[in-house]
Amino acid sequence: MDIDLEQHQVDLADTARRFFEARSTISAVRDWEASEAGYSPEVYQEMASLGWLQLGHPESAGGAGGGVLELSVIYQAMGRTLAPVPHLESAVIGAGVLAAAGTPAARALLEPVLAGTSVITPALAEDDTGFGPESIALPGALESGGALRLEGSKILVGYANSASHLIVAARTAPPSDAASGITLALVEAAAPGVELTRLPNLAGYPLYATTFDSVRVGPEAILGRAHAGWELLAPVLDRAAVLRAAQIQGAADRLLELSVGYAEHRSQFGQVIGRYQAVQYLCSDIAINSHLTSLMVRYAAGLLDAGLPVGKAVSEAKAQASLTARLAPERAHAVHAGIAFILDFDVQLFTRRCRHWELDLGDERYHRERITDALAA
Amino acid sequence: MELQLTAAQNEWREELRDFLDTELPPQWERSTEWCEDEDFWAFAIAFTRKVSAKGWIGLTWPEEYGGLARQPIDQLIFSEEFTYRDAPVVNTIGWGLAAGALLAGGTEAQKQKFLPPIQRTDVLWAEGYTEPEAGSDLASLTTSAVRDGDEWVITGQKTFTTWGSHADMLYCAARTDPDAPRHRGITIFGVPIDQPGVSFGPLFNIGGGRQNHTFLEGARVPHENMIGTEGRAWDLIMGGFYGGNIGASYMDAQQKLDKIVAWCKTARRNGKLLIEDAVVRDQLAEMDLLVQAERLLTYESLSNIQSRRPPAFAGAIGAVVGKEAMARFAELTNLVVGRVGQLAVGSRWAPIDVASGGPEAWFRTSIRNHAGGTPQVKRMVLATRGLGLPR
Repeated sequence: MDIDLEQHQVDLADTARRFFEARSTISAVRDWEASEAGYSPEVYQEMASLGWLQLGHPESAGGAGGGVLELSVIYQAMGRTLAPVPHLESAVIGAGVLAAAGTPAARALLEPVLAGTSVITPALAEDDTGFGPESIALPGALESGGALRLEGSKILVGYANSASHLIVAARTAPPSDAASGITLALVEAAAPGVELTRLPNLAGYPLYATTFDSVRVGPEAILGRAHAGWELLAPVLDRAAVLRAAQIQGAADRLLELSVGYAEHRSQFGQVIGRYQAVQYLCSDIAINSHLTSLMVRYAAGLLDAGLPVGKAVSEAKAQASLTARLAPERAHAVHAGIAFILDFDVQLFTRRCRHWELDLGDERYHRERITDALAA
Repeated sequence: MELQLTAAQNEWREELRDFLDTELPPQWERSTEWCEDEDFWAFAIAFTRKVSAKGWIGLTWPEEYGGLARQPIDQLIFSEEFTYRDAPVVNTIGWGLAAGALLAGGTEAQKQKFLPPIQRTDVLWAEGYTEPEAGSDLASLTTSAVRDGDEWVITGQKTFTTWGSHADMLYCAARTDPDAPRHRGITIFGVPIDQPGVSFGPLFNIGGGRQNHTFLEGARVPHENMIGTEGRAWDLIMGGFYGGNIGASYMDAQQKLDKIVAWCKTARRNGKLLIEDAVVRDQLAEMDLLVQAERLLTYESLSNIQSRRPPAFAGAIGAVVGKEAMARFAELTNLVVGRVGQLAVGSRWAPIDVASGGPEAWFRTSIRNHAGGTPQVKRMVLATRGLGLPR
């Protein structure tokens, strides 16, 4: 029994931290947020050349081996620096689905996706606002030849404007004991009938609504078995949820540094505010929740990588992380008070990103429900 | 990273379970902390001596002091299984606190003298740290020890001495140099209790157990019972709270959660199964998260011990989380179990499987809140020594 990272993972964490601190400075993050793409294709390409897009995928699928643990230390560094890249959408979820589907069309797209020359993104959420197969209602009509016709809208689709393809989850059958009734389809973002609408949002994240007006894709575009798409997607989303949790932990870690640094130097009532126990409590809340998130991430990632039964570990990690994503910014604002509310000051950048990450890939409520499912099983 | 136990470690767990199945009565749900019943105490002593005879007290100690020189992970597995079953192992001050300090800072002669009787559960120890005016601020203690030839003479008062009236030896912190800086004049002694200078006054606790005031009026201690270096006990005190042992208190919460989940599958409120109640389900998940947080903090401690590395954040996160989580766990227990949760263990109308959930969880929370330092003090340690904020 040993929950420590291996030395090569510690080294990778150090490399990733230095990379993102150099290449994703806070002023660059501000510029990217205001840009059309919402991220830096150059940084993403550099990540590709470091092998970080191939990471976590087996060599047989064109990946570089390694696992969620290796990726998690990169995500912590991305969270610390708020580096905006479509890695989770494209290189983790997108590539994960393509690799699992294994169809010729999927394999053909996998190579440019892992090279960073193509970006793909999942289109899952609808106005149900839930997460999980029950929330998917967008009607997909399967034709007798296996083609699929899509009608309706997906929302909160990240980086859709940069994507060559969308992975669309459609309701093709009612849920049954045997299958989710969901079919996954690879849809070209530029296909006729696909319309993208930017959704301005608190996080400054490139989120889109994608509307499908009688969009038809051929049978070669179906990923996995018809009506059993969620079964293919679910393990990929588990990995992604752990990585989102790692990213939150990185951001919380940075908020802790900012808060402690501010409390050490800001004086009121004749002494630095870090001497006040009320302020010390606020800082220790961030430290505790950040640390618990890191332990739960490490545990879930370790189980996933070792192929051991994961049980509730993924949902424990994301439930804790979603809590941390709310609590750490709230405490940081309390320490900083008025200045945290000002755009020139960096705290608000973390607060706004955390609003997205908290609710992404299953919110606290969703993952707590999954925990209880496992407890009661 | 290695999250699987070896075959030998799994066998060790099975061996412990077999032992507990054999030695504990069925439906065992009692803690020595809440009970002064003499029959129960006699059972706990006899049980602990069986554990001693197995060599499992002192499991990780070097063999020359009666130990089995086993690995820290074996100690953790032991703690997990014994805690899950609420096994009444007494003399925790002996094999935890005193033995930990002796192994860390005792002389060879002291180890030879004190450790084997602790291993055999022949000599029972009680803790003598806290004083009426020295609680959280332990370094302000005023009990004095004055050298008199080959002996020391101890005068002062200790308090909250659990099991004091059952113990043979007091693990006593006393001031040996009143002129030294306050952290530098304290020394630890093993004070024999059976002498005219030592007496007790009972403090009955809300759980039905007893702590004590301990009065030291010219109590005499042979110099050879001084533990560690004169005037340097503070390092032992800070490093030695149950040092050398890895506890698994989360298994106490785990067994309660397991019982509560099972009960929620059959119990109804307002005609509806509790396990189908959305609020209850959320509360159960929060309880699981509290258990899991403590479990992973313990795994982290194990890894720290295995790689001989000091804990992050001055080790304070584990202490804060353990204490604060337990209070929340007890609160959630009450919310889930509802109004029958206030009934005492043994009541016909108490839900039998979770009877210990209400009162028990709260009693334990109340103890854990202060034992070894309050969460408020641990938060101060976290902020100042862990995060570097000014004192």
